Amino acid sequence: MAAPSPSPHKPRRKAKKLGIGPDTHVRPRSEIFVRAPSFPLAAFLWPARTASSQWQVLPLILMVAGLFRWAAGLWGYSGFNRPPLFGDYEAQRHWMEITTHLPISQWYFHDLEWWGLDYPPLTAYHSWALGKIGALINPEWFALFTSRGSDDPTLKIFMRATVIVSEYLTYIPAAVVFVRRYSRLSGVSSWTASLALVAILMQPSTILIDHVHFQYNTVMLGLVLATMASFLAERYKWSAVFFVGALMFKQMALYYAFTVFAYLLGRCFFPHIKLTRLFGIALVTLATYAVIVLPLVIGTLYDSYRGVTSRPDLDGPPAPLPIFPWVTKFIDTNAFYYPVVEVLVQVLHRVFPFSRGLFEDKVANFWCALNVVLKIRNYPAVLLQKAALGATLLSILPPNIIIFLRPRKTTMPLAFAATAWGFFLFSWQVHEKSVLLPLMPMTLLLAGKHGMNREIRAWVGFANILGAWTMFPLLHRVDLRIPYAVLTLLWAYLLGLPPASWSVYFDERGTTWSQLATAVLHTGFYLLMGVWHVLEAFVLPPAGKPDLWVVANVGVGVAGFGICYLWCLWRLTLDSDILPARGKPKKKTQ
Amino acid sequence: MSETYPSLGQCALVAAAFKILLFPAYRFESDWSLGSTDFEVHRNWLAITHSLPISEWYYEKTSQWTLDYPPFFAYFEWVLAHIARLADPGIVRIFNLEYDSWQTVYFQRTTVILTELVLVYALQCFIDSTPLASRRAAQVAALSIILSPGLMIIDHIHFQYNGFMYGILVWSLVLARSRSTLLYSGLVFAALLCFKHIYLYLAPAYFVFLLRAYCLSAKSVFRIRFLNCLKLGAGLAGIFAAAFGPFAAMGQIPQMLSRLFPFSRGLCHAYWAPNIWALYSFADRALIHLAPRLGIEVNSEALGSVTRGLVGDTAFAVLPDISPRTCFILTLFFQILPLIKLFRWVGAPSWEDFIGAVTLCGYASFLFGWHVHEKAILLVIIPFSLIALRDRRHFGAFRPLAVAGHVSLFPLLFTPAEFPIKTVYTIFWLVTFLMAFEHLAPASNKPRVFLLDRFSTLYIAVSIPLIAYCSLVHQIIFGKSYEFLPLMFTSSYAAIGVVGSWVGYMVVYFTS
Repeated sequence: MAAPSPSPHKPRRKAKKLGIGPDTHVRPRSEIFVRAPSFPLAAFLWPARTASSQWQVLPLILMVAGLFRWAAGLWGYSGFNRPPLFGDYEAQRHWMEITTHLPISQWYFHDLEWWGLDYPPLTAYHSWALGKIGALINPEWFALFTSRGSDDPTLKIFMRATVIVSEYLTYIPAAVVFVRRYSRLSGVSSWTASLALVAILMQPSTILIDHVHFQYNTVMLGLVLATMASFLAERYKWSAVFFVGALMFKQMALYYAFTVFAYLLGRCFFPHIKLTRLFGIALVTLATYAVIVLPLVIGTLYDSYRGVTSRPDLDGPPAPLPIFPWVTKFIDTNAFYYPVVEVLVQVLHRVFPFSRGLFEDKVANFWCALNVVLKIRNYPAVLLQKAALGATLLSILPPNIIIFLRPRKTTMPLAFAATAWGFFLFSWQVHEKSVLLPLMPMTLLLAGKHGMNREIRAWVGFANILGAWTMFPLLHRVDLRIPYAVLTLLWAYLLGLPPASWSVYFDERGTTWSQLATAVLHTGFYLLMGVWHVLEAFVLPPAGKPDLWVVANVGVGVAGFGICYLWCLWRLTLDSDILPARGKPKKKTQ
Repeated sequence: MSETYPSLGQCALVAAAFKILLFPAYRFESDWSLGSTDFEVHRNWLAITHSLPISEWYYEKTSQWTLDYPPFFAYFEWVLAHIARLADPGIVRIFNLEYDSWQTVYFQRTTVILTELVLVYALQCFIDSTPLASRRAAQVAALSIILSPGLMIIDHIHFQYNGFMYGILVWSLVLARSRSTLLYSGLVFAALLCFKHIYLYLAPAYFVFLLRAYCLSAKSVFRIRFLNCLKLGAGLAGIFAAAFGPFAAMGQIPQMLSRLFPFSRGLCHAYWAPNIWALYSFADRALIHLAPRLGIEVNSEALGSVTRGLVGDTAFAVLPDISPRTCFILTLFFQILPLIKLFRWVGAPSWEDFIGAVTLCGYASFLFGWHVHEKAILLVIIPFSLIALRDRRHFGAFRPLAVAGHVSLFPLLFTPAEFPIKTVYTIFWLVTFLMAFEHLAPASNKPRVFLLDRFSTLYIAVSIPLIAYCSLVHQIIFGKSYEFLPLMFTSSYAAIGVVGSWVGYMVVYFTS
């Protein structure tokens, strides 16, 4: 006997009682009494409703999530067969190439034009590890220079596998733990939590960007999720470790930094001041930074000891620092530690390219939308940067003040979402893909109190579908319309959302005014999206305005995201009990 | 009965989403010899039926993938070709060998998904015709078929229209459930034969069942119901005339038959289907190494011949060679055994017994047939799924088959891109449905006879290291050499499971 499986000759009565029989063993949870599933995802997990443990269901969920990811990965990636520069896929591959071949001190100095490394060190280490593993299989994949733009199909499989493995080591365990803790906290049954977990893991935008278009966002998102899960468990030092990890993997995690800071600070000050906690967190944060930078520092020292430096000429003077040139006034450029300073400044310079424009492409961001009306590119860059800074601060202050004053576990995802929306809408150098950042915490609301009820499902669904829709031009450029359509429609179908079903807006017990207003508002947006797809597919834009459809996409996207920001803020205000009276001061969709 | 979620339609829809994502699967190969040949086979048939007059369909041989399915399938391709031309005119050109534009892929793969709706419909009929008490079990069985990894691997990654074909088969089987639709069951099956002749393997069960239940009186074997015989005869004649009539009129029947039944092929297919002959070959290979010690003579000519990769003759080094006649006699013998029981049933045989007989016919032909392809395992699995939930004894026999049958399909897909899909999907299916079946199969009122269930747990457990060895470890140790070894292990392993489940089910069938 290899495994103690339930041997088939036992009398089956007992199993039936435990099993999925119709009217046995009902748990005192309101969802269980529902006679029929109200949306298809609930139907799929229906037989698991009375399962004795959701751990039986979890492996199946993880398998399905993996299958959809891998199948989506069979499609092309960004930059496939698109010389001269290819795309994100080539960028990630190239980083594996340079990190495994160049001395560590040179990583951040190597050829910026061909996808120079411009992510923080943790990404560099990640690339290095993957490059080392890949070179065991086939060294040609990452050969210096000659491997540029490689389209080896086996390499593609390796790269896809690395994304999945990275995600299954970070994002997915973090999501499982977070959903478990958050649902328990909110008094949600474990079956409903499983529904939420599937919905979170099947989020179309995440799969489309990471597994189809190609990137490792889920590693960063996973570390942020782990931060949030640690918040729930009140392990603040761990949360600091995870969050520093996220920041050092992808600087984009800065979108969340204010909220993390505000929440931690709030937790140290309310209900009473705990200075030791504050001190401990600060110390752990610094230590984590130090540990992450350490390989780079030691490597650079070792390289300069071997004589490998970034000086343009042998024995010449060092190149001027790209930013903070005043530093050289205070330190000796010939000191043994000067190469370390150079590298760290160079990392900062690469990671935060302040010199670039306000926005790059057409992105559903406030500035890009404003550009249509105001041609703001003609204004001085400094003014624009100040304006962006001011607007961003203005938009993120309210949620962060609230979460500082009322650092509650239940409202924490809302604060994350509102802050990230603020950054996405108003900061500079925003990319379409950055919409993943506000979507992640917002989608987590599904695991919370009433998360699977109509209102939250409608709003989370709206944000996600709008988010995927704004990325359509990006996906369309590399012929990914089919995976876009399949994954987005599948998710909408599973959660009972438009365009698959409008049932989420209508309650059989009677529809309130606010529900009706939401329904009208959302329906308007869904119609716009639908019409846009038809126009984009069948009508050529007028001769003078080749970008008309993309601009329209941006306009609709900004409006919708702005509404999502306001909704998150409004829910946060409401759930934090920060308003004195329970009268409704604001209409939700202003 | 409120517990009927998820519904068949819901599952089919989500599965369809997954299948659309699989569109590019098995395509980005460096050369076509690695890619899906069946994809090109069907594209070529579209071209043949579209561009040539009907008289040349079975003579055309520009491509090596000649038309070797019966006429209804050719007509079906002809209809599809008319739509295909709109999608991409390049598809239907005969000399456009190995044409695979994106439109071609989209078109062909979409037709597979759409024609599979026949299976969804047939399974819904199956659920609706099941008595209320066991409807939930029927629903789970239907879900297991629609989500079958066999269909997923063969149809949606590799490429074939099995979903459509098995849809017709299930529909015909369901029609046999009610006395009033027995005639249609026979006719639908006849039509199915004209689509794909592999179902001839199941024909003996149909013949005996219709003879007993439709043509002869329920009370006595000696009272013939002439009107029924006439109706059935006329119907069959009509269907076969529609299929073969035009070709008979042109005198092409011998040519067509030579295409349909290519007896020149060898005993075992390119990969060994997990049947008796796989075990036989394995024994032969093992005996080669033992022969010098045992003092047996080895046929040195056969030493070089390993049945792999080549569709050719199989020669055995130690054991006696097998002739097609031997295969045929063995197959027929093991088909007749359950059919005698089916015929001699007191009163008329029940529908479940009929499905049992169909299953056993499938088993016999799969295990003993000549040149059996491993895809043919679906001939056993799908009918068996319909009755696997009758009681725990049936389920006990079904379980090793479910594992072995699907694992044996793995060598069909050997590119790394499909590896995670085939394994994870199959494991997902096995875990989900074996667990659900476990809950749902009622206890049997008959005592158990066999100890096979104990053995089956061990058997299932062995599959995990086996898959790991065949797909990973072997390559690391041996690289490209000894390529036949994993194939041989897989098929021998699966053969043990299929044979075991066959013996188990024979016992169940004859003792109930």
